[in-house]
Amino acid sequence: MARIGVDVGGTNTDLVLECAKGVFYHKVPTTLKNQSIGVVDGVQGICRKAGIAPSEVETIVHGTTTATNITIEHNGAECGMITSEGFRDILHIGRHKRPYNFSLHFDVPWQSQPLVKRRNRISVSERILPPSGDVATPLDEQAVRDACALFRKRGINSVVIGFMFAFLNDAHERRAKEIVLEEMPDAYVTLSSEVAKVMREYERFSTAAMNSYVGPKTAFYLRDLDARLREAGVTSKLRIMQSNGGVSTVEACAKRPIRILMSGPAGGVIGGASEGAMAGEANIITVDIGGTSADISTIPGGSVKIMNPRDTYVSGHPVLTPMIDLVTIGAGGGSVAYIDEAGAFHVGPRSAGSEPGPACYGRGGTEPTVTDAQIVLGRLDPDMALGGDLKLDAALSHKAIEEKIARPLGMTVKEAALGIIKIINNNMALAIRSNSVARGIDPREFSIMPFGGAGPLHGVALAEAMSCKDVIVPVAPGITAAVGLLKTDLQYEHTEAVIVELMKAGPADYARINAAVATLRDRVQAELDGDDIPRDQQTITVIAECRYHGQGFELRAAMPEGPVTSENRHVITDSFHDQHQQDYGYSYRTAEVELITLRAIGSAAVRRIEIPTIAPTDGSSIDRALMFVRPTTFDDGRTLETPRYDRTKLFAGDRVPGPALLHQHNATTLVPPGYVAETLDYGNTRIRPVGA
Amino acid sequence: MNLMTNPAAAAVTVDPITLQVIRGSFETIAEEMGHVLYRMSFSSIIRESQDLGAGLFDVNFNTLCESESTPMHIGSIPGYLRGIAQTLEDDEWYEGDVVVHNHPYYGASHTPDLAIVVPVFFQGRLVGFAGNTAHHVDIGAATPGLIIDVPDVYAEGMLFAGTKLYRKGQPNTSMWNYIRRNSRAAQQLVADIEAQVASARLGAKRFVELLEKYGEDMVFAAANQLMDYAERMTRQRISEIPDGDYVAEGWLDDDGRNRDKQLKVKVTVRVRGDEVEVDLTGSADQTPTAYNVPFEGSTKVAAYAGFRKLLLDAATSDTRVPSNEGSFRPIKVTAPLGSIFNPKAPASAEARFTQCNRMIDLILRALAPVMPDRVIAGSSASISFAAYSGVRPSGDYWVFLEVNEGAYGGRPRSDGPDCIDNLMANTRNNPLEDLAMHIPMICDRYELRDDLPPGAGEFRGGIGVVKAQRVLTPAFITHESERHTDAPWGIFGGHDGVVGRCTITNPAKPGELREMPSKFSGLAVQADDVMTYYSPNGGGYGDPLNRPPIKVLEDVLDGFCTLSHAREVYGVAIDLDAETVDMAATEKLRANLRKHR
Repeated sequence: MARIGVDVGGTNTDLVLECAKGVFYHKVPTTLKNQSIGVVDGVQGICRKAGIAPSEVETIVHGTTTATNITIEHNGAECGMITSEGFRDILHIGRHKRPYNFSLHFDVPWQSQPLVKRRNRISVSERILPPSGDVATPLDEQAVRDACALFRKRGINSVVIGFMFAFLNDAHERRAKEIVLEEMPDAYVTLSSEVAKVMREYERFSTAAMNSYVGPKTAFYLRDLDARLREAGVTSKLRIMQSNGGVSTVEACAKRPIRILMSGPAGGVIGGASEGAMAGEANIITVDIGGTSADISTIPGGSVKIMNPRDTYVSGHPVLTPMIDLVTIGAGGGSVAYIDEAGAFHVGPRSAGSEPGPACYGRGGTEPTVTDAQIVLGRLDPDMALGGDLKLDAALSHKAIEEKIARPLGMTVKEAALGIIKIINNNMALAIRSNSVARGIDPREFSIMPFGGAGPLHGVALAEAMSCKDVIVPVAPGITAAVGLLKTDLQYEHTEAVIVELMKAGPADYARINAAVATLRDRVQAELDGDDIPRDQQTITVIAECRYHGQGFELRAAMPEGPVTSENRHVITDSFHDQHQQDYGYSYRTAEVELITLRAIGSAAVRRIEIPTIAPTDGSSIDRALMFVRPTTFDDGRTLETPRYDRTKLFAGDRVPGPALLHQHNATTLVPPGYVAETLDYGNTRIRPVGA
Repeated sequence: MNLMTNPAAAAVTVDPITLQVIRGSFETIAEEMGHVLYRMSFSSIIRESQDLGAGLFDVNFNTLCESESTPMHIGSIPGYLRGIAQTLEDDEWYEGDVVVHNHPYYGASHTPDLAIVVPVFFQGRLVGFAGNTAHHVDIGAATPGLIIDVPDVYAEGMLFAGTKLYRKGQPNTSMWNYIRRNSRAAQQLVADIEAQVASARLGAKRFVELLEKYGEDMVFAAANQLMDYAERMTRQRISEIPDGDYVAEGWLDDDGRNRDKQLKVKVTVRVRGDEVEVDLTGSADQTPTAYNVPFEGSTKVAAYAGFRKLLLDAATSDTRVPSNEGSFRPIKVTAPLGSIFNPKAPASAEARFTQCNRMIDLILRALAPVMPDRVIAGSSASISFAAYSGVRPSGDYWVFLEVNEGAYGGRPRSDGPDCIDNLMANTRNNPLEDLAMHIPMICDRYELRDDLPPGAGEFRGGIGVVKAQRVLTPAFITHESERHTDAPWGIFGGHDGVVGRCTITNPAKPGELREMPSKFSGLAVQADDVMTYYSPNGGGYGDPLNRPPIKVLEDVLDGFCTLSHAREVYGVAIDLDAETVDMAATEKLRANLRKHR
């Protein structure tokens, strides 16, 4: 039986196929208008490559940017919203903080690109009272019907229902949904209490609105893809990568597309984590370097971290859904280097993209980019890009750097190119720091894992800047995200707001907590049952999101085994104090700990791709892999005659001393002098200082 | 133009690449300090509103870096450091010291903003400071949370000047005990000070790591070059403004006690080459209440911030200018001693925000004739700062501070943003659900203001907020606000916005409505009393008859504009049923309106 991972990027759709015959890789151009065309094309192509019939494919796991692109291009559904009287503009006001401190001409994305226009936000009489959740004013059902009439008149078919305090009592939201579906049977309806049953009205409403905004198109895409695959003779199960690093079904994602807004980068992080395991390293910092941006994630102890829900934003809108903790910065191969009017030297965040692209592409770009600097320094061979498929013009790189940087700053072209690399590496190092050191993680215990085609050119410099222990280069750096898709489990999450001061909790509070846990377990179980996962293969973990009473930001704490009682509640509070100490370097051991949200995570292990090992070295010279020797300039300014090796011809245990470049079809790895690159069991590579 | 901080550093030239590397490190350290402070803190004014600032400073009190939190804090810490230098316990710094400081006549921004400062020692010598400021809920002033109608600075609560909370690493337990006994919100105050200490110590640690990595001379030389760079950028932009004296005036409602007396704000902007002076001469005398602005910690800070917004707009320029002392150097701020912008001790000077915002608004107005595509029309340029408090059955106080938003004036290329923190303010609101779960208050309404329209224009003014907060038990309210009498100005044919408003009602007493002045102190209210705040709507920019009819239609559909307003002010005829513009009728209306001008 075969399985396929397919990751759709901005330029290319990457595929990996695993079957009895081995592991195969494939790349096709991304079809931007409808990603499914390229996906189906790629699936057929990789099956041909592997020599199997599409019907032999058991599972396809898909990483998609469809939902994300809707938010970037602002072309989601026209939505209607039904909300509480007096609170029509929660989505318009947001948290009333400007995106910039020092600006008069700033844009306010949630006002200029609203998820629901004010004319379609209809407030109706109803009121639920805190803290009990009792109904103070019943729902005005006629007003809900009137709102539906208006939506019908305006051709709106995607509806958000968000009432104040629905996290305490969702009866009004559920009743309103019944009415909407009576009035508009085909409507796409999202309830705030369904997508994020947590306190904080703006974030909850925004999450629901985002779901209804991206929902209809995303659902269409996923179902259309499923149908096209069937037409192409693929009968496999289609699974979608979610932002939390777990996979889910087409139907579940069609209902909750907010769960796949970060589907794209998640595959890379999961791929990085498993490459860490293959290299025997639990502590990994992944750096996925693309054309315009770099995604950075810290993976301590082999487990991928999930972002604090207070930090999860998509296109300026808060979306309360579990996402892998990663930072994205505007640093990539296309990042433009320039001198500003007061003479300062910058690289990025602006990118030359793929049109016109770096100067060396010869598509009319005259501004120097990071890729141009790599060419000038001899770190990229212009005739070897994508195995020679993409021809680059070194003279154009040289000219751009000379005119725009070297001459104005009175430097040589070489110095300017080294400066570009140094600044971009520093920008990445600072982002790594914000995702590691700033959260109490010591990078000296971590390996840098660079990927994306150009990633392994930066690995050693980043490891030096962060004092990381070494660099691990994945087997196929250009395709790590697609491989990651075949390394992930099924995963579902649900939340319940349960607000309890734990130190003062009594029997009634424990009963509430335990009842909520039971509800959550049932809900998660139902989703896994729906995927035909046998009960004995389901794993359900419950997490307590807590804060010190009076704080505003929750951290995750562990729950005890079995029901919570006065005897074991210290498990929660101890775990919370420890987490606070870890994150902020300080804890208030005697302060009251308040439980805010319970979260259940249900998962089921899926068989993971097995990358074959390569042959161990036979003791022969690495010259068997030598391609040619050319000059390359390194960070210390020395230009050395540097051998290029074909990475695919190296054996496990081979040691390549720097200076060297390792070439493969989709990536180049830089090994500076003083470093040695050791080929590991799977064809992956560890680079560390000589003698370390 | 280069203020030397370290003579050896003068000899070092930092190459442009290392300069960017060190700059990035500085910025990351400041952000990390700010992050720890607001994530750890307990009071909503710090953790939600993020009313705080944090950064690193050299021994001459130059800012090396500062967190991007709220503008009123940015640039204020050097004033504190100068004040600490005058008042420091032991007259010297020891390694392991932690100082608390808030004295408004020794450089503080205002008393509730406590600074926590840690000296940074490197190889046994004092080389700089790590510090932060944060707004505290209650420091034991005359009324809970905020004050306005008080006699002098001693009514503002605990005054700290160069006070050591730790000496050589040892806690000053008497001082901690004293603090714990002198606040209505002692638990929050103490825990938040601890969060500030953690943040400042982290900054000091990172500063030393940076010095170890690059060497002291290199780091300070880079800091000096970065200041010179920010200064160069600012001077270039100032030199683009034609030389001249530009004047604007406005009126503040009252001082919070003498209701019939408006207070003048007069701003003269003198541009000479690449330097500029903001002269506040002609503004009102200092007031007998707390409605005065500390000169060092607030007046100057606000003037600097105003020019930074105007000249170095972060949203429209590719390059960011580092947050340091350099951009302040070409700007001189003048206010006569004894005036509202430079009060004499012992006048109280706690309620200072609205005056600062108004000064910035008037700087824009003064420069409008020579910078028409850089300025914006009049904004709400005030603030609504409300302190709600009460006593729980246990006898403990609850105190809640709320910052309400305003609206921007119309802009040369876009409408003024609605319902958003204005100018010097940039806080987050408090989630209403979180609030109602924890204190005896509930919000009855939080929406865009729809009782009166924003200033009409080709680009209309922003729409203010209406927020109705109900207390569930007897409570006290102090409200610091402005602009009930002088509406935000329209410009280049745009119409004025509308003034703010504040009422108190009670659902059990329909028909009874108390119109409140913009500032009031310690008002006792009953259970179920509702305070409703309407922030001013921004002024319009440009002729309303030039507004594209489709945008007027959108505003009508969204309820931002009535049909008659569309007709009479914008000259746009709308078919509400079909949700379209009647173009022929619109052309006629507009021609007619133009003719009768």
